Amino acid sequence: MSASDRSRPESALAVFERPRSLALLIARKDKADRLAAAIRASFGLDLPPPGRWVTGAQVDATWIQPGGWLLEGEPSAPGAFRALVAAAAEGLGAAVDQSSGRSVIRLAGAPARAVLATFCRLDLHPRAFGPGSAAMTRVAHVVCGVRLADATPSFDLIVASTYARWLIEELLEASARHGVRFEPALKPYRSAMPASGPM
Amino acid sequence: MSGYRLPHGGFIDRSRRLAFRFDGKLLEGHPGDTLASALIANGVKLVGRSFKYHRPRGILTAGAEEPNALVELGEEGRAEPNSKATEVELFDGLVARSQNRWPSLAFDLMAINGLAGKMISAGFYYKTFMWPAAFWEKLYEPLIRRAAGLGRATYATDPDTYEAVNDHCDVLVVGSGPAGLAAARAAGGAGARVILCERDSLLGGALLLAPAVEGWRQEMIAALETMPDVTVLKRANVFGYYDHNCLGAIEKLSDGAPGAGEPRQRYRVIRAKQVVLAPGATERLIAFPGNDRPGVMMAGAALVYLRRFGVAAGRSAVVFTNNDSAYATARGLKDAGLERVTVIDARPTGPQAPGLAVRLASEVAGFDGRRVEVRRRGGGANAETIEADLLCVSGGWNPNVDLASQSGARTAWSAELASPIPGAPVQAERSAGAARGLSGIGAAARDGLTAGREAARLAGFAGAADFPLPEDEPPALAVEPLWEVRGRGKSFVDLQHDVTADDIRLAHREGFSHIEHAKRYTTHNMATDQGKIGGLVGAAILAEARGETPDAVGLPTFRPYTAPVAFGAFAGRATGDRFEPIRRTALHDWHIRHETVMQRAGAWMRPFYYPRAGEDAWTAILREARMVRSGVGLCDVSTLGKIDVQGPDAAAFLDRLYANAMTTLSVGRARYGLMLREDGIVFDDGTVSRLGLEHFVMTTTTGEAAAVLEHMDFHAQTVWPELDLTFCSVTDEWAQISVAGPRSRDTLMKIVAGLDLSNAAFPFMAVGEGMIGAIPARIFRISFSGELAYEVAAPSCFAEQIWEAILEAGRAFAIAPYGLEAMGVLRIEKGHPAGHELGGFTTAADLGLGRIVKKAGDFVGRILAERPAMADPRRPRLSGIRPADKAHRLRGGAHLVTEPTSSESLGHVTSVTRSVELEQWIGLALIEEAESWRGKRLWAVSPLHDERVEVIVTSPRFVDPENARVRV
Repeated sequence: MSASDRSRPESALAVFERPRSLALLIARKDKADRLAAAIRASFGLDLPPPGRWVTGAQVDATWIQPGGWLLEGEPSAPGAFRALVAAAAEGLGAAVDQSSGRSVIRLAGAPARAVLATFCRLDLHPRAFGPGSAAMTRVAHVVCGVRLADATPSFDLIVASTYARWLIEELLEASARHGVRFEPALKPYRSAMPASGPM
Repeated sequence: MSGYRLPHGGFIDRSRRLAFRFDGKLLEGHPGDTLASALIANGVKLVGRSFKYHRPRGILTAGAEEPNALVELGEEGRAEPNSKATEVELFDGLVARSQNRWPSLAFDLMAINGLAGKMISAGFYYKTFMWPAAFWEKLYEPLIRRAAGLGRATYATDPDTYEAVNDHCDVLVVGSGPAGLAAARAAGGAGARVILCERDSLLGGALLLAPAVEGWRQEMIAALETMPDVTVLKRANVFGYYDHNCLGAIEKLSDGAPGAGEPRQRYRVIRAKQVVLAPGATERLIAFPGNDRPGVMMAGAALVYLRRFGVAAGRSAVVFTNNDSAYATARGLKDAGLERVTVIDARPTGPQAPGLAVRLASEVAGFDGRRVEVRRRGGGANAETIEADLLCVSGGWNPNVDLASQSGARTAWSAELASPIPGAPVQAERSAGAARGLSGIGAAARDGLTAGREAARLAGFAGAADFPLPEDEPPALAVEPLWEVRGRGKSFVDLQHDVTADDIRLAHREGFSHIEHAKRYTTHNMATDQGKIGGLVGAAILAEARGETPDAVGLPTFRPYTAPVAFGAFAGRATGDRFEPIRRTALHDWHIRHETVMQRAGAWMRPFYYPRAGEDAWTAILREARMVRSGVGLCDVSTLGKIDVQGPDAAAFLDRLYANAMTTLSVGRARYGLMLREDGIVFDDGTVSRLGLEHFVMTTTTGEAAAVLEHMDFHAQTVWPELDLTFCSVTDEWAQISVAGPRSRDTLMKIVAGLDLSNAAFPFMAVGEGMIGAIPARIFRISFSGELAYEVAAPSCFAEQIWEAILEAGRAFAIAPYGLEAMGVLRIEKGHPAGHELGGFTTAADLGLGRIVKKAGDFVGRILAERPAMADPRRPRLSGIRPADKAHRLRGGAHLVTEPTSSESLGHVTSVTRSVELEQWIGLALIEEAESWRGKRLWAVSPLHDERVEVIVTSPRFVDPENARVRV
């Protein structure tokens, strides 16, 4: 696969990195309900149940573990987003910065389901994985959050940043025969891929 | 030459010709042919030699049950042995070779094995080649391997690509005969997501042999094509049925035209809510002398060649049967214009067969390839000989129960068919049509419709689609079980493994009477065809020998795979660089840009050393280690596991988790932490830093990071659920850089703002937060090297900026990066236990860490660490060793003994390196009665290297035993 193949204009798929501010919010013992109320009060958002994610005006939230959610906002100064979430969760839960710890990778295009089916065991058919669906699973052998972003379809893959390049390379290889273009993240976010290209 | 192409008929494109080679000879066929049909059309009768006796063999079947026509396909990396010619779709330029013949197919010197048959009967390799034992490896095994066996695998790299895919559906239908098509349409019409798998290149199964219902077949296919949620997969064989309704299939995509960009094969893992199994039935063999001769063909297969490929398999035929189905073959052959067609029916009465020559109550007692010996049932003197080059055989039909059986359903016995049929389902599956013993297209289609509706209903789709079905055929006469016609000569029950009826009886006589024992003793059913045509025949012969009925004897367990699967298909894309995930630190690109030698450590890529021009590995490593001892160096330690722990009970939790006390740790301080397993053995070590009253960050070793987090989750969730705390991995969030050496403070003071790094304000084991430029960083004054040292942690997206800032700040002190191996030199000199010392067999005391273990309060591993053997003072303890002669080297794994020839080991060497302080090899070792050996001499022997080195036992702390340097 050459670089020109990946960037041909008729590419059916796009893979790109989404710079995000991320904080893992974990409820303290027996305080999940009060934490949910506090988050609703601060961000106007209901923390989603298992298998779901929600978008808000300021913050998105994805269920990620029992009593744990990944909160997400626009890129901001180091630590600022975590501090915002921590303030809302004061005494009820821990907010841990993951802005550099997780990468959010978008796969968009009609063949996206076929590409994901090559290394994700989940049923991503619209009947089984509709709007608002999210799951923690394995993609390309690494732990990964998967969520349906829109009906294109577009999927967000949330992966440990140290595995981001591995996952992007897998996505590009699995997408190659459909035609795919890759967009690294804009600065100042550190791209998972070196400037010279992935391979 | 006997087979030939008929002037018309068949699903082939006669307007186009495809050229192919078989054993070098150029032949032609048509699109739609298989290699087998094209070979028969070209008059090729001999296609292979048998496994053991090297008997000549011809094409016996038209499908996956083929035991004889195994060929090697392709060349170089695409060479594929043991391909069934009956399953290979012809393409232009196909190259096939026969197998297991030497020097040539027609003249095979190994055929003498057939004459020596008495010597190589069943189980011969257990008996004949037993003595002397030394001969096995050098003489017998190579001899047997040359004489027996099938094709040869290639060593060349496969140039094609494969893909693995996960599929999901409400209803999976296996097989596209009348039952399968009806089931798929019924389920699809009800609104279910359906996958229909057909192993053939055409849909229809038995419908392809029934011109009268061709219209129905086409209408059904057209209807399925209009359903968006029905996926029809051709050339897709379902090879296994596993737990939780998970099935495996191989879809052949470009076997015909390799290298066209598509994957060659796709491995599909199908998770289905409901399954309809409609794989049809397989015709079974009858054992009689010469039933393996070229010219013998299953009666159903002969009909397939006629109807599907427009090929007559011979010019003069005898059809030997015990049931009605073979009459269609006889009729077809006669209509195709064969010179003579004679039906030999074992039953006293047969169906109406106007115009056919039929001998009732007769049997075939022998065949030599040209003449069929026919006699009255049960023998007698009135045998006659009929000239024929084609002998069609039908011993009845066995429903294909293998997938149902793999799913866990026990088989039931059908006396009517004299065959196993699928029993009560265990998983969410049902069989339909011929696969559960029904005969006739109409009956199968109706059964499929019912099964498809039921499967859809159970999957939550109640809508009832309706469509016309073919009419039922008149009922057939009963099959009369006939397993064997005894006579002189070899009667085979397993053609691929050359197992005869006599072999089965021999197994019984020698005590291998259980069906599973007989299978293994004779290798019956163990070839790639898995005994599809002869398995039940062998079982019935065993039953007769045991004086029982076949249903009492049963069949061996059915296991995946129903047909062989290429390893490449399982691997999919996961080959070479893509075999397993690679984990990269945030500084990976910097390392690569600076031509660092990288080392794989688990999933991680870690910098091993940073060679300068002209430096070999050791030169670079020792330079890096000296740099840290004398100046300053920096090292990427981001791979260390990092866990953020928060909450009011965080301190209490860590106190129970670690063997040493943590509640006493002050805010702004770090402490070494030692973790035990429940059994008292050392599990992991690292540091714990208290960032706030209720906030800690702990580190783990790189290798155990995931295991430690799991250990914590287990204890938090199940052992101490009353504790109020939260924790999560922050390994990926924080890049961590070690800055080590006497000039490390001078270096960091230049760039760290907002934190006083002076020794008084920030002593050894202090922790604080500061700014490096605009980047917030955590500074830990901890040391792995034994020198004044710090670790700097920053959000990993800023890793390169921080790294470059430190490099710039340390330029005046000749700072440079050091890698994993120099770190190893430094920690061994310092006597820090790591990898091999923490290998899952050492206690805290073994490592000299007994003094830090809490005397009061509970912690994981406390109770079991107190067992007498764990606390035994004679246990091997950590020590240092160095060769008495400075010129000698040490080896990890060497044993320590008192005399060079002694075999009484006192312990072993765990880690070795070249010390920059002592300028000689040093090592860490675990030695019994270690204290008493201090200062004395032992021998480190490594029989693997044939080395014996005299060593002096020392303290494990080769450098700064008072630990003064870290405090300056």
